[in-house]
Amino acid sequence: MDRRSFVRLMAAVPFAPSLKGAPGDPVKPDALPKLNVVTKYAAARVPGMPGPYPGRVIAVKSEKSVDVETSAANDEVVREMMARGMCALTGKKTALEAWKEFVVPADVVGIKVNCGGHPWCVSAYEIVAEIVRQLGAAGVPPTQVYVYERFQNQLDEVNYAPHLPEGVTIVAAETANRRADNRGYDPATYVEADLFGEEDTRSNMMKLVSQKLTKVINVPNMKDHGATGATGCLKNIAYGSFSNVARTHYRGKSHTYSFVGTLASVEPLRSRTVLQIMDGLRGVWHGGPFARTRKYVFYPKQILFGTDPVAIDRLLLDIIDDERKRHGAISIYDRSPQYLKVDDGRARDADPNVNIIIREPGHVEFAAGLGLGVADKARIKVQDILV
Amino acid sequence: MTALLWLAALPCLYWTQGAETAPALKKAAIERVCVPTDQADAWRKAGLTPVPLSDTDLGLRETVAAPGIRPRPDRASATRSPWVFTNGSRFLRDPAGKFLYDLPAGKGALAAAEAYAYGADAVLKIDPADLESVGQMLAFLSSLPKSDLPDVADVGVVDDGSATMGEALNLLVRRNLLFKIVPAPSAQYRVSVKLGTPEFPADAAKDPSAFALKVRRQLTDEQRSLRIFGTEIVIGRLTGDGSRVRLHLLNYGGRDTEGVRVRLRGTYPEGEANVAGAGKVALEDRGVVDGGTEFTVPRLGPYGVVDLPAAK
Repeated sequence: MDRRSFVRLMAAVPFAPSLKGAPGDPVKPDALPKLNVVTKYAAARVPGMPGPYPGRVIAVKSEKSVDVETSAANDEVVREMMARGMCALTGKKTALEAWKEFVVPADVVGIKVNCGGHPWCVSAYEIVAEIVRQLGAAGVPPTQVYVYERFQNQLDEVNYAPHLPEGVTIVAAETANRRADNRGYDPATYVEADLFGEEDTRSNMMKLVSQKLTKVINVPNMKDHGATGATGCLKNIAYGSFSNVARTHYRGKSHTYSFVGTLASVEPLRSRTVLQIMDGLRGVWHGGPFARTRKYVFYPKQILFGTDPVAIDRLLLDIIDDERKRHGAISIYDRSPQYLKVDDGRARDADPNVNIIIREPGHVEFAAGLGLGVADKARIKVQDILV
Repeated sequence: MTALLWLAALPCLYWTQGAETAPALKKAAIERVCVPTDQADAWRKAGLTPVPLSDTDLGLRETVAAPGIRPRPDRASATRSPWVFTNGSRFLRDPAGKFLYDLPAGKGALAAAEAYAYGADAVLKIDPADLESVGQMLAFLSSLPKSDLPDVADVGVVDDGSATMGEALNLLVRRNLLFKIVPAPSAQYRVSVKLGTPEFPADAAKDPSAFALKVRRQLTDEQRSLRIFGTEIVIGRLTGDGSRVRLHLLNYGGRDTEGVRVRLRGTYPEGEANVAGAGKVALEDRGVVDGGTEFTVPRLGPYGVVDLPAAK
């Protein structure tokens, strides 16, 4: 394989979402809601986010990783990308050594996948399977591995089981997104907030995370998102590990600006999430987080590695926005009313120049302010690797 | 209260099919049945306790809505919670009223529970397909420990009798904002509502949802006697007398809800739930936090009650 790697520093372009979508003053919503974090868990000495590599991102790219005609991934290439990325992130010579930086045999490891983009953009089978394989090599048996999402029906659609060894548990907190089963959530670990006068003001952490897992590996996709601008590491781990989060966006307004990062910062989620592997083999540049058609699917053909979810997501904002620009679509930073059709999902799906909510890509910067990572592009160090 | 009186306090099934269908009612464990006046003797001979109801009697009763929900998938995420049809406010507004449910299939059991929870004098016209489930619910209701406790209320409302106020009270019920209708504002309640006052101008209730939110904001969530988490389709009615409380939980969703989290203001170190279809159920994840008692009812069908003695 043709390989080369180099290190680049992100250009010192200021983080500059603006009211009109052009570079300008940072946007901070006028009034941030009061968010009350309730948890009995203390932070680890070195919390998993941002972990040992703040501001550091390994971007492994390969033209051969995905067949854009069939959308199928190349398993062998993905494995190679995974090994190269993990070694580069940790400075270790072998993938095994690299993985041992993050787990020990006694760990109970959760793999937070993203199934919301079924059928065209979900956490790739090849990546998830390789993670499980490497965990096994590092001494964590399949019986101590949990592939998880919030909704079982989404996991069932994606169906990871045929790709994973026997013993891995594939589990969700709820059967479906209908708010009828809450026993998978920890009643004592939550964020309380009255955002729009909703009656249920609590978002509870999954019991799996708070009571069983000792480590979490986050495997988000590269996707546009109608409320946050883009959904990557932060939103996948936050909204994918807590209940009752859809309440944060209502009639065109989104409180995701502060809510996403706040959820991600709640212990023990923050401390236990030790590794971010962003699946950018496929992506969604509009209509996300869903991908019911291929209309808005694109192929970044890359995997990003790091321990800093903020740094990776900061890159993601540009990736999504650049792809939108390529298609002549409005920026994820656009807040102008002329493109806003509140709650009109059909119009949004038909036209990439329709927002149904004012997006809050500033949630990434807000999360940086919580200490979850580095959002300043001048301080993000990216190592590109071509496979 | 005698057993006979207690039986009479249960909602009454109105059954127009002839006494020859008595075996079906007996199989459904129904002992008391409201029937057309001219059929009362036949039902008595068939071994049930008939309550004669003439067409005039029925016509004098106020017909109430079939309880349940209507999904609102067209709405944005935060309001995906469905519209709840509850008759709680009508029962609270008119405690001496006589009511009639005329129900489609699938609503009988919840209606029976709703009437019982609010102590309403209600007659149930059901779809025959619901006979078994209504019988099970009535049997469950009659098995519950007797309780005759007054309402716990955070809000005193002076009811002007208007339709607007009626819908405002409905929203208070749906938001689990506990109120009592009072003749005049009283310091006994944390919030007093009387339309036409500076705090609640005459048009304050025209937007019932905004009205309920205003009441909630004045009360504050911290001061509420009852909070329910994990669902927006379960409505509670709290009764108590200082030595104990009984919480009625009505699930309007039409399917079981798992993990209903409850917070009650005050300290209640003990307690247990009686859940329709499950019987006695231990409360999970109990705790006293910041002046409130919290617990989880692990699984709730259409109805359950939680009885809690107060801390001594």
